[in-house]
Amino acid sequence: MEKEEFEIKVIDYIRGDINEEDKATFEQYLKRNPKQQLELGELAKLWSHTNEMAVPEPSQQMDVQFFEKLNAEVAKKEVSENRSPEGFLSKLKFLWSPQFAYSIILLGIGLSIGYFLNSDEMDTQQVTSVASNNETKEVRERLVLTLLEQPSANKRLQGVSEANKFDKADKIVIKALLQTLNRDSNVNVRLAAIESLTNYVENPQVRQGLVQSIPNQESPIIQVTLANLMAALQEKKSIAPFKKLLQNQQLDTTVKKKIESTIQSII
Amino acid sequence: MQTLTDNALMLKVKSGDIQKLGLLYERHKKRLFGFFYNMNSDAALSEDLVQNVFMRMLKYKHTFTGEGSFAAWMFSMARNISYDYFKKNKKQNSDYQISTVEYKLDDGTNTEEAVMRKEELKTLKKAMHKMDPDKREVLVLSKFKELKFSEIGKIIGCSEGAAKVKAHRALKELRTIYLQIESA
Repeated sequence: MEKEEFEIKVIDYIRGDINEEDKATFEQYLKRNPKQQLELGELAKLWSHTNEMAVPEPSQQMDVQFFEKLNAEVAKKEVSENRSPEGFLSKLKFLWSPQFAYSIILLGIGLSIGYFLNSDEMDTQQVTSVASNNETKEVRERLVLTLLEQPSANKRLQGVSEANKFDKADKIVIKALLQTLNRDSNVNVRLAAIESLTNYVENPQVRQGLVQSIPNQESPIIQVTLANLMAALQEKKSIAPFKKLLQNQQLDTTVKKKIESTIQSII
Repeated sequence: MQTLTDNALMLKVKSGDIQKLGLLYERHKKRLFGFFYNMNSDAALSEDLVQNVFMRMLKYKHTFTGEGSFAAWMFSMARNISYDYFKKNKKQNSDYQISTVEYKLDDGTNTEEAVMRKEELKTLKKAMHKMDPDKREVLVLSKFKELKFSEIGKIIGCSEGAAKVKAHRALKELRTIYLQIESA
């Protein structure tokens, strides 16, 4: 066996890129050539050794930075697409050309033929598209959860605003928003969480979470926001926690009046 | 349920649906991070370089034809980025500090065998970083099972056979350096 041929075979062998027949032939060859067999043994050992070299996990910070950059690119693209109406009109000039009319006719014929011949494939494409949308949703959910755990309040605010982009948020995102409402140290982030949760007030889990958070809130602005929201929702279950809040001696006078009027309006 | 292939996703990115790059990032971030980490042993730097690869994909999305595999295209970009970095920072890389690298011990025990294993891995890591970056690169790429050697050949600019020969010689060189360090 030539030197290069042997070198190629060794790599195929230790990487497992060799079929059974070639493997058996190569092993027969090695039995007849103990020096090369020894070399293969040593290289294979080193190869498997390199698998044990540790590679750490990338940090969540990498995800945050990447999605920030990607979102910035998306925003930049949207802005440039919306800008310059002249540019848009110039793009439409081709509508007046005769080629366009022919293209439309041909497209119509093509579509009708395609529809009748290829309806199965269309189903597959729809399924693929749904799968891809689900994957996008999962990625965005993970992004929201990661952002809400960041030490920077700005990042957490960004997380809440990402959560607003869901048409229908799932349990995990809602739970994360409610946790933010109850535990976040920053008032602005908590306010943003309330605003985001108001998109899902028809969900009983959200209503219950909002009501349960009333006694936990110490900031007057949050207390007033929740009072306004409960009055708008006419949520009777909020009366008890509001009454509990009224027992607090240190409650701000304006807030106290606001809560009393809220209770009255709900009753 | 079916998921879109990497190539289909990248073609969507090319046609303007750039949000889909997020899915490709999720699928490949760990692999790319592993590639860079094996090349430079610096986790923070590797994270930056992973992001650079995806931003470069956006910039050069028009060059993606969908004919070859997405992984090969991605690693070609990663390779260029890694190469640019090495070119710019030649000095820092020659001052490689072994103390900054962490090692994995399978069982976490502190037996004599485990300590020896740890030492062996330390020596191996040292040997890896004494190698020529080109040789180290072909070795790192050949560890990725999803990359065929025909693709590795395209990434490093040679034939499939030549790529295998290079990988073999790189592995042999690693062994020589390893033994040199061990006997020193």
